[in-house]
Amino acid sequence: MTFAWKSAGLTYNRYLAVASRAVRRSLKEGPRLQAERRGQQELRFAKWENGKQGEVKNLAEANNAAAIAQAESK
Amino acid sequence: MSAFRFARSALRARPTAFAAPLQRRGYAEAVSDKIKLSLVLPHQTIFKSTGVVQVNIPAASGDMGVLANHVPSIEQLRPGLVEIIEEGGSTKQYFLSGGFAVVQPDSQLSINAVEGYPLEEFSAEAVKAQIAEAQKIAGGSGSEQDIAEAKIELEVLESLQAVLK
Repeated sequence: MTFAWKSAGLTYNRYLAVASRAVRRSLKEGPRLQAERRGQQELRFAKWENGKQGEVKNLAEANNAAAIAQAESK
Repeated sequence: MSAFRFARSALRARPTAFAAPLQRRGYAEAVSDKIKLSLVLPHQTIFKSTGVVQVNIPAASGDMGVLANHVPSIEQLRPGLVEIIEEGGSTKQYFLSGGFAVVQPDSQLSINAVEGYPLEEFSAEAVKAQIAEAQKIAGGSGSEQDIAEAKIELEVLESLQAVLK
């Protein structure tokens, strides 16, 4: 069984993140405000080359872009 | 000689007289009719090895009910409603965003999900508003990935809307 999101280049991890985000947004005001903080990811990274720091990127976004590029090259 | 024979008969008689009560252990006592459920999220434990009668889960291969002594299996879960039937017939319902259910050989069921909430914590208006938005993106001319994400959201929201009614 192939899922539609798989062929669009999404990973299972990303699929779960999107599904959970939709669940969190559907909550009533009280629990929603508490829950939405859990969906945020702030981890950033930079690649160092020849002793110089490269561009600082958001890890989640960079992972996403890499997965899409891989799906397109196939 | 006669003393020896007496000792032998005493030896034979004793085990049957003492072992009889111990051997009266039926299947019903040896095997519990409850399944031990663990329902866990990364940030919360909802059930921790609690004995329940039945658990209905939305597996990717179809909805299934799990009772005690179920065949060991691993099931991917769709976003959907998990129903837990407790002792005494009361049911609890949680909407899970998707994850895995593992049935272990010793009547243990572990359900792992990312998000899970009881039904009364959801707002029908929020669901309706999100469906409208996701449909707009899914039918629009965004990137393939944006459309795929909107379709995932639609799958979640439509399942949620169906159980909220």
